[in-house]
Amino acid sequence: MSGLEFDPDAYTGELDQRGDLAPGDEPRESAGHWVRNSNLGLGFSMVLTIAAFVLAQTHLIYGPAIPVALIVLAIAQMGVHLVFFLHVTTGPDNTNNVLALAFGILVVFLIVAGSVWIMNSLQHNMMPMDQLIQLQP
Amino acid sequence: MSHADLPATVETLRRLREDPHRLGHGAHDRSAPAQGVGHGVTGPASKRIIVGYGFWLFLLSDIVLFSCFFATFAVQRHATAGGPGPHDVVELPRVALETGVLLLSSYTCGLSFAATNAKSVLWTQVFLLITGLLGLAFVGLELQEFVSLAARGITPQRSGFLTAFFGLVGCHGLHVTLAGLWLLTMMAQVQVKGFRPEIIHRLICFNLFWHALDIVWIGIFTIVYLMGGLA
Amino acid sequence: MFGKLSWSAIPFDQPIPLVTSVVLILVILTVLGLVTAKGWWPYLWREWITSVDHKRIGVMYCLLGSVMLIRGFADAIMMRSQQAVAINAGGYLQPEHYDQIFSAHGTIMIFFAAMPLVIGLMNFVTPLQLGVRDVAFPTLNNVSFWLTASGALLVNVSLFVGEFARTGWLPYPPLSETAYSPGVGVDYYLWAVQIAGVGTLMTGINFVTTVLKMRCPGMSYLRMPMFCWTTLAASLLIVAVFPVLTATLAMLSLDRFFGWHYFTNTAGGNPMMFMNLIWAWGHPEVYILVLPAFGIFSEVFSTFSGKPLFGYRSMVAATLFICIVSMMVWLHHFFTMGSGPAVNTAFGIATSIIAVGTGVKIYNWIFTMYGGRVRLTVPMLWSLGFIFTFVIGGMTGVLLAVPPADFLVHNSMFLVAHFHNVIIGGVVFGIFAGFDYWFPKAFGFRLHEGWGKAAFWFAFVGFWVTFAPLYMLGLQGMTRRLQHIDMPEWAPLLDISLAGVGILIVGAACQVIMLVVSIIRRDELRDVTGDPWDGRSLEWATPSPPPFFNYAVLPNVEGEEAYWGIKLRAIETQQMSPEPHYEPIEMPVKSAVGFYTAGFASVTGFALIWQIWWLAAVALVGAYAGFVVFAWRDVHELHVPADEVARVDRARRAAREALMQRLAQQEGAAP
Repeated sequence: MSGLEFDPDAYTGELDQRGDLAPGDEPRESAGHWVRNSNLGLGFSMVLTIAAFVLAQTHLIYGPAIPVALIVLAIAQMGVHLVFFLHVTTGPDNTNNVLALAFGILVVFLIVAGSVWIMNSLQHNMMPMDQLIQLQP
Repeated sequence: MSHADLPATVETLRRLREDPHRLGHGAHDRSAPAQGVGHGVTGPASKRIIVGYGFWLFLLSDIVLFSCFFATFAVQRHATAGGPGPHDVVELPRVALETGVLLLSSYTCGLSFAATNAKSVLWTQVFLLITGLLGLAFVGLELQEFVSLAARGITPQRSGFLTAFFGLVGCHGLHVTLAGLWLLTMMAQVQVKGFRPEIIHRLICFNLFWHALDIVWIGIFTIVYLMGGLA
Repeated sequence: MFGKLSWSAIPFDQPIPLVTSVVLILVILTVLGLVTAKGWWPYLWREWITSVDHKRIGVMYCLLGSVMLIRGFADAIMMRSQQAVAINAGGYLQPEHYDQIFSAHGTIMIFFAAMPLVIGLMNFVTPLQLGVRDVAFPTLNNVSFWLTASGALLVNVSLFVGEFARTGWLPYPPLSETAYSPGVGVDYYLWAVQIAGVGTLMTGINFVTTVLKMRCPGMSYLRMPMFCWTTLAASLLIVAVFPVLTATLAMLSLDRFFGWHYFTNTAGGNPMMFMNLIWAWGHPEVYILVLPAFGIFSEVFSTFSGKPLFGYRSMVAATLFICIVSMMVWLHHFFTMGSGPAVNTAFGIATSIIAVGTGVKIYNWIFTMYGGRVRLTVPMLWSLGFIFTFVIGGMTGVLLAVPPADFLVHNSMFLVAHFHNVIIGGVVFGIFAGFDYWFPKAFGFRLHEGWGKAAFWFAFVGFWVTFAPLYMLGLQGMTRRLQHIDMPEWAPLLDISLAGVGILIVGAACQVIMLVVSIIRRDELRDVTGDPWDGRSLEWATPSPPPFFNYAVLPNVEGEEAYWGIKLRAIETQQMSPEPHYEPIEMPVKSAVGFYTAGFASVTGFALIWQIWWLAAVALVGAYAGFVVFAWRDVHELHVPADEVARVDRARRAAREALMQRLAQQEGAAP
């Protein structure tokens, strides 16, 4: 695949002097690592996916721990995608991107956790809707 | 003492003279060197960064949209109304196949952008085409799943749980379909326009979108299918 | 062929909507005819409809918002007068009509009056304050505007074709489900808000990117004017919560169109999930509205006190604090729905805590005035009225944040008075302050002071006369949305409230007269310096109105209050900075894609409302084709030659020179 070698001229727009990167971009000097990064990402993801599917169908580990393990595997794989496919790093050139990502994760957490907490509490306190309906004459 | 008829500018200069140490506020000392706090001391960012960042924000909002469907699914999980439950809708072999197809498409999508970086129209198009075909396969598998479920009487009209299930999975499928339409448009643009800056910016955005859809799928196959199959 | 649409959709038997629509149509036809007769179409098309200039788009947003504000106000007048006359009687509005009016009033005021006005001011001001030439995505900005206009169009069409929702401004299921609302009213609501919501989401993305990635050299985060910070916070909230609105309305649409069971009260649907999701959007939404207003007040207090904003950093911190915490309080809108004490307590405490951030701001504004040279101009009057009104509204809010107290006044007129108190006192007063403050920048002449002050006093007094009685009625047990009232002892308070509306009408008339008088006498109100208020932030460094490229050379910021520093130096040294080297400028070219897309979006919405499926498909394909054509264009930028840039900027420098001379003389004469 000689067509995949890095060509510095392909970069549109100069990399910003203030040390900033577009999301998904890599700094100029490491942009040749796209293919390697993709390979690594694919490898890790395959391992994690297979682990998740196997875990869900076997009794290798303590039953109630399986959902927790599945969620951990999913979060790990999301991390793999972010790092190897989306090239999110901890570097200063990624500060804005990571901050936006953190904000998004916070919002998702608030909405999902908040909704589940609120609705579970409601269900715990109130009679389910279909029974409530049946009460009516 | 204050002169109410004078503009504040003039008044400030007078006060500066009377209070050279600027007790109160120290922002405009002209002898001090300009100190930038935070980022952005060099002015507006390049178009590449602006476009990429804007699309990144759109992706975050899209993830929030999915989070609502996830939250609804979590809340409605047990609302089966006496109908089929999570266990009845899960077919793990098909899900595994779908997962593999989508993961591979994410990989080839990454390669297509590597080819873009290397300014190779041919390889960019080849990998985009493979990505698109894999996406098509994914959507096809999902449609097949929905049709077979419907044949067993499992439709969103049946219960709150099934509504949440079809809504969440269908929303993702709809996204993949629209991304496929975008992919076709992008391929045509690359062919006709070549690697002009704005085309490359759109390819960056397309890449981000495709990878993000794969990330959402991780959530779906874990929470809906694997954990649903456990129950 | 035409789905559910037939001649019976037009309300021939209801005189009020019919007469209103006929009058509206005549007015629109007159305006269109006038424009055609005068041959203004090419100018309008070229300079406004297809413009991607943030200043033009901002003005169009404000125009749309003002028109819809009047429409929403008309609804309010009808509601207050209906309640005043319908005591032990039927009044003049039938229940199904009255229900549409209060639903339309809320929907219009929030989505199509307050949002466009706030976004319009954000559009006009933010790039100028940041010292850049446009927003991050100028064409997208145009698309956003036309999508908002498209939503507004659908709401107004519902007046004449079909009906509007009778469910309140948030269509709570199960009432809004097909079983209980079989008509098209809720569908009008859903698609109007959905289309406008997409436009707003894109605006949010646009402005976060603009503030974070497009600032002039030297404009670090902590040198941004306060309004830019509040724009950033509000835009972040838009990006975070408008998708929630989109998802929730999409779910309700699926329920209504295809018989799904998200929010039905049968087959495992959960109506309470709708309250939960819609308020997860709805509460941050009020901060999306009020945060930019806070930014406007910060600018106004600082400018008209002749002082830097007191506690700038604490103001930034409070803004971001409110931005985050506003997403953690949504349950207080449905304390009574039956969650446990732990949940109610947690959200009650979070709600009380958010008042701390606002309190910090109030003190900062007061201390900004302390020791300053306060000029009681019209924007300053609105701001002072805001502090008084908003503090009281905020305190009733803290009261409502206590769950046991909320159980007593939930959904009563007390609540109605509370949220009008914060939204009118906060958002509307803020919009008027910003309107008066930046009007000279936009049009090159100031607004007439006398009529402006009259407008303020009538609005301020009228507000309190209208809503103070509603607080009392709420405490006496009057619930909201009553079509008729069978408690004669409430009549005096309802009459006082109606009298307040009369005062508000006078205030609104004063605003209109102010505008007309100012336009007629624009020559004596002309602002030739570009700095009519002795301003402190960069927008005042441009001429009024600014050239379409804003800045000939991007300014170089060396401290907080960028323009103030430049101005002081120029007066003291009695000379301007040397003339810069002018270079050609690239500006984005105008584009019709927004207008076409929004046109197709309106058609799609209309087709979906009446379930004309083929038309919806055709319109969607049309919208997609429009985007592809746009994406195919080859010319993206307009080249402004250096000569042209130099010519415009030299005129600005000459005006500026004269101002500096005058100020320097005054300084020399000062003791």
